[in-house]
Amino acid sequence: MNDLNKTLALATSGLRAQSARLRLVSENLANSDTPGYQRKIASFAQEMMNTQAVGEVRQGPVRLDQTTLPKVYDPSHPMADEKGYYDGSNVNLMVEIADAREAQRSYEANLKLFEQSRKMSASLLDILRR
Amino acid sequence: MFDTLDIFKTAHAAAKHAAGRQSVVAENVANSDTPGFKARDIGTFEDLVNQSSTSGLRTTRETHINTPANTRSTGTFIDRNLEASPNGNTVSIETEMLKSIEAERQHSRAMAVYQSSLNILRSSLGRGG
Repeated sequence: MNDLNKTLALATSGLRAQSARLRLVSENLANSDTPGYQRKIASFAQEMMNTQAVGEVRQGPVRLDQTTLPKVYDPSHPMADEKGYYDGSNVNLMVEIADAREAQRSYEANLKLFEQSRKMSASLLDILRR
Repeated sequence: MFDTLDIFKTAHAAAKHAAGRQSVVAENVANSDTPGFKARDIGTFEDLVNQSSTSGLRTTRETHINTPANTRSTGTFIDRNLEASPNGNTVSIETEMLKSIEAERQHSRAMAVYQSSLNILRSSLGRGG
């Protein structure tokens, strides 16, 4: 039962990390037209307790994509410089969609494990019921 | 069969092993995107049974360290035969899904054995069944 409880906690940590990643993806998508916006990248790290990995995953610090921002030519834009260019955002919709799909897959895998462990502990408790 | 109730012990060990394996799989899946994470695994229940029947390592001298049974197989080890993705992660979701289903089936099998032995025990005590 202890192992199964641990499994539930582990799967929950995975769900939390993946949904945080999906949130960053949606932030990126929402800001894909914001001038000067740098794409945010989710990072994952292992949960540590007294310098020992406990197996759970946690979200690491959010990093910004450092690729150069594209120059967009639009002289009528309020942020345009004297040559008529302004900084766009470096969000690539294709990359974001792929990232979202990947997050969804990992989320589903964690959910599947959660469901399975729940079933296992339920069958364990069924023995008591008789 | 019911002198020592070995079947309950075996079913208990099988269920415990399945739960432990499920926990290792969950750890792998949760860290399937963590850079540098190495996938772990746990020995099969068969290994565990074989090992506990021979009660640990054979020693030539009594002073040698004799590892007690089922410390190695139940312990997790890092699976080194896997190919790492560019970020150094060696978890494959497909393999993990397969392992988790194996663990679940082993668990439900153990539960079925336990349940049916319990039923036999109950009916032999004369409380219906």
